[in-house]
Amino acid sequence: MSEDLAPELKPLMAALLDGDHTSALRETQALLASGLPRERIVTEGLEAAMSRLDEKCTVEGFNLLEIMLVGRAVSAVVNELYPGGEPPTAGKATFIIATLEGDVHDLGKNVTKMVLIGKGYRVVDLGKDCPVQTVVEAAARENARAVLVSGLITSVIREVRKVRPALAARGLEHITIVAGGAALKQATPEALDVDYVAETAFDGARFLDDLVGDAQ
Amino acid sequence: MNGLERVMAAVRFQPTDRLPVVPQLFGHAAVLAGIKLVDYLHDGALLARCQLSAEARYGHDAVFAFMDLSVETEAVGSTLLYRDELYPDVAKYALRPGDDPARLRIPEPRQDGRMPELLHAVSLLRQEAGNRLLIAGSVVGPMTLATQLVGIEDALYFAADDPDGFERLLDYATDVIITFGKAQLQAGAHVPVVFDPSASPAVVPAAFFREFLLPRLKKVLSAFRQNGAITTWLNIAGPTAPILPLHAEAGAEIANFDYYVSATEAQRCLPHTCLDGNLKSLDFVEATPEQVFKTAAALRDSFAGRGGFLLSSGCEIPPESKPENIEAMIAACSTVPPWQS
Repeated sequence: MSEDLAPELKPLMAALLDGDHTSALRETQALLASGLPRERIVTEGLEAAMSRLDEKCTVEGFNLLEIMLVGRAVSAVVNELYPGGEPPTAGKATFIIATLEGDVHDLGKNVTKMVLIGKGYRVVDLGKDCPVQTVVEAAARENARAVLVSGLITSVIREVRKVRPALAARGLEHITIVAGGAALKQATPEALDVDYVAETAFDGARFLDDLVGDAQ
Repeated sequence: MNGLERVMAAVRFQPTDRLPVVPQLFGHAAVLAGIKLVDYLHDGALLARCQLSAEARYGHDAVFAFMDLSVETEAVGSTLLYRDELYPDVAKYALRPGDDPARLRIPEPRQDGRMPELLHAVSLLRQEAGNRLLIAGSVVGPMTLATQLVGIEDALYFAADDPDGFERLLDYATDVIITFGKAQLQAGAHVPVVFDPSASPAVVPAAFFREFLLPRLKKVLSAFRQNGAITTWLNIAGPTAPILPLHAEAGAEIANFDYYVSATEAQRCLPHTCLDGNLKSLDFVEATPEQVFKTAAALRDSFAGRGGFLLSSGCEIPPESKPENIEAMIAACSTVPPWQS
């Protein structure tokens, strides 16, 4: 547990890292009742917990079960803080995430989304089996900083390669493209025509942290 | 030596005339024959014909009666979504997370879902190839079937929220798997390979594997052995180094390792168990034949002093793979005969 963490936030941090969504929700309700601003709960609770999880989740130590439990707890807290679905930090950055057409496996995408929301980003989820053109339209509409594409099966690679030309055709060549997932992470960024290939959700989130940080 | 003799010699760490090669060729056999994948997955006779045609072309040592990871869940009531050129996905799961698995019955492999077609494929392969090749049947492992019965996200939450209920689900899955594997052995399979991708440390921690999955995998492999399997084969893809040593404890005589684990690490984890792996699946689609040959030859050489090795991919060779890349892998087995352990 971080020593510089405010004492009142320590139980929430512990509940989040344990993946205990019931306790995390209870702690959040108590913090709100005590008058703690929700922005502090996000930055000092959620984002701090995700940083701690990031340190723990090396490539060897990353597993879906633990991440999903933490993600469920994070979602419970976010829904409590923003019941209307208002994004926690709309100003930080917006990412578009999708599993592209031809692939219906979306667990990796969902986990990545949970990690990024926990870090305070706004994530627009286009679901699975998503056409490239839908991704491009969303990126333009949402003023996205990056497009994140996930793929479990190798046959989706041909769709991944269409993303950059399709963005460029809409004048969106400045948008960064990140790929991840069991099939895509076997390839190089050059082979996929993307900017980065993430080994895990946290690896991708670190790249995006640097990207957004550098731009600010 | 023929393919079966070669594989079994490697399992026993005995010398072979060349390095055995058992590429995980499933849907690629359909693509190679110009058959729609969806037809291959529904027709045992077609599957057997495509497997034998692929073997005639490439000259590998084992053929696989493998359809996809959804055969068992479909047979007990899940509804699948099929497309022409992709493996099916579950559209409606047989169970909800809180459901008692006792409400489902154990399937009858000669009647339910596509199980009869898979058994037909096994018997045709054995009829045609006899003991010339290893005839590998296929079942999913307990964790993979549990995730295919309720959905992977719900299965993982279920495991965390109600471990006792989840264990009942795993026990039911284990009974289904043993029933199906025994039927495959009766139909002529030399060994039903246990594919359990959801047991990977990428999905669940090693401690979870040890507590919940290892006892069930032991039961499955032991049942197969008692019912005539000539060996036992456990295939878990992904970063399996933390659980590889437990493959021997599970009773596996052949253990798959994926590209995440180096050959040196795999040998250290399982010094007395035959290993199969670990070429990167995507290389069969994207790399050149020269690159595949070079990687395969290096892998072959890394086992030269030890034996107990079957050259393969770490996971499935994708259906759309280039045939010349598969030929390059197989060529690497034949360049330094005899291959001595």
